[in-house]
Amino acid sequence: MATAIRRLEESDSVESFDCGDEPLNNYLKRHAWNNQQKSSIGVTYVAVEELAPGAVIGYFTLATSSAPRDSFPKKYVRGLPAYDVPVILLARLAVDRRFGRRGLGRELLSAALRVSLRVSKEVGCRCVIVDAYPTAMPWYRSYGFTALEESKSGAVRMYLDIRTIEAARSVS
Amino acid sequence: MPKANSVKSTGHRVKPARKPKFQADLAPFEDSAVRSLKQQLQLTSNSDFFSEAVALFQWAVSERRQGHRIVSESANGEKKILVLPRLERVAPESALPHVRIDWTEKELGRLAELLSSEPAKPTDALVLAMKG
Repeated sequence: MATAIRRLEESDSVESFDCGDEPLNNYLKRHAWNNQQKSSIGVTYVAVEELAPGAVIGYFTLATSSAPRDSFPKKYVRGLPAYDVPVILLARLAVDRRFGRRGLGRELLSAALRVSLRVSKEVGCRCVIVDAYPTAMPWYRSYGFTALEESKSGAVRMYLDIRTIEAARSVS
Repeated sequence: MPKANSVKSTGHRVKPARKPKFQADLAPFEDSAVRSLKQQLQLTSNSDFFSEAVALFQWAVSERRQGHRIVSESANGEKKILVLPRLERVAPESALPHVRIDWTEKELGRLAELLSSEPAKPTDALVLAMKG
């Protein structure tokens, strides 16, 4: 299956997308385009099959954000720059369940991390943050994401240093 | 009288630098599109056509690289934004919008600790994902 990953376009067919999670389906169908084009809240990248280039089979959404330096514990503040820390938020990542178990999630994550590396070079950022469902945590952990706070229910915020991503690319 | 900037002849004729050739296989519809465009733009040779096309592409890439959007505007003010997937690849992701994250105290503590530490070594899965 040859796939391409690119920015979401208005003409993309998203109505049949089904990752098995209603909030993630709903975001792509109802909000992704408006949030990208009109509100500038997040940029969505979609995976499409080259044979059916308008039908979305997976997606992720990225935005930039920051962590307020003033709120860091005093013992760490001295070693950090005197500014809020810029981060990239991997806000959503989902694969249509009909296309699961084919490595598409890895392809999407890889594309998201490549964009993050480019961002770090263009405007600066220190890490990628993802709010992962507890069931997805082991998957993110396998790529080196670390939980910032353990939680038994709800999404868990996870961290991956941009320098680790850069190192992975240098090894590759 | 010799010209001021004349070059002393060595007796050998200097060969002009060879220009690189560009050859492309065109589908019939592409061939007819090229012919039509050449006619509309009053371009007589493929070289001129290619040169103009490269100039336009170069400009588009340069604009997008700077994060500028390429927009067409009709007489009544209707705007269309050019979204070309290939072109989006050069766009700086400074275009990524900024959102506010509600951090907990614990998260910020752990984040500060991680930011102050040496970065973790990449896992095998990450190395594999970043390959190519």
